[in-house]
Amino acid sequence: MPKPTEDNIAPKTPKQKLRITELTAYALLLLGASALITSIIYTSSILAFIGLGLTFWGVLLLYITPTRYVKLDLLNAIAPSTLANIEKMLTNSKLNEKGIYLPPKYLRDFESSLVFIPSKNNKTLPRPEEIDEEKIYSKNPEGMFLTPPGLALSKLFEKELGTSFTKTDLNYIRNNLPKLLIEDMEIAENVEVEIKDNLITVEIANHIFSEICQETRKLQKTHETIGCTLSSAIACALAKATGKPITIQKEEKSQDGKTTKIQYRILED
Amino acid sequence: MQIPLSFWDISLWLAVTAITLLITAELISPYYGQTNLLINKKKLKNAALTTGILFLITVAIRIYGIITAP
Repeated sequence: MPKPTEDNIAPKTPKQKLRITELTAYALLLLGASALITSIIYTSSILAFIGLGLTFWGVLLLYITPTRYVKLDLLNAIAPSTLANIEKMLTNSKLNEKGIYLPPKYLRDFESSLVFIPSKNNKTLPRPEEIDEEKIYSKNPEGMFLTPPGLALSKLFEKELGTSFTKTDLNYIRNNLPKLLIEDMEIAENVEVEIKDNLITVEIANHIFSEICQETRKLQKTHETIGCTLSSAIACALAKATGKPITIQKEEKSQDGKTTKIQYRILED
Repeated sequence: MQIPLSFWDISLWLAVTAITLLITAELISPYYGQTNLLINKKKLKNAALTTGILFLITVAIRIYGIITAP
């Protein structure tokens, strides 16, 4: 039988890891219960403490282990194809202007988001009655409506915060976005939000979407027009919170590649 | 046959466990690199808070006992 080496030992799959944790938890529970029963029989308070501790940690281990999780590689593999489709559409429609994230007052469904890409740089927005979430092209002014790639993520933000961004304001975003991304969703290591007049700068360090955003940078038009998933999600949130149209002005990575700096502009409607 | 732990033993145990869990929940980082044990940080925090509240309830019972004692 060949001796196992580092190369031929198969790494534990996430499912196996969860199974091991589960088995450990049940073993702790069993040991704890036995210790508790023995402590009752022999009237031993030390055994009772041990039993209580083991049972508690067994239950805790079962409770705190997530039932399902996906590897980051899987997430990174799914997103680029959707963005590639957007790139194709933008290239074929010959649209070069920056996408404008529309605020809820322009939409029929207030909880939804839409990005409008005008064909000319005149920043004229279509009238609310002309906007239809089902429509792709707009005639007056000429342009295209797209569902932002970060819409689902921004809805997840709302679910996590327990409120809709439409009921909040810019201060709420400034105060809650860092905690949401760092502590609640564990998306990034550090987040800083700076608001100066009509410019909002968000600096995100070591976020899990860095690879997806790196892929988006290769799709030049998508990157310039609507941004990557994370910047798009924040743009959706900002459009809802401010009630004004938002554009992603700039999105750049630091030299060490760890920090992403996104600059948003609030447009007057 | 009865459980050889008094109400105050359990209160003490709750206090020690609550402190341990609260410190762990606050200090634990999602970037600690150890992926063999997956932990839902939010649930750990909830468990820590619950244990802490249970301990405070035992303290409240103790205070109530002292106040109402003849």
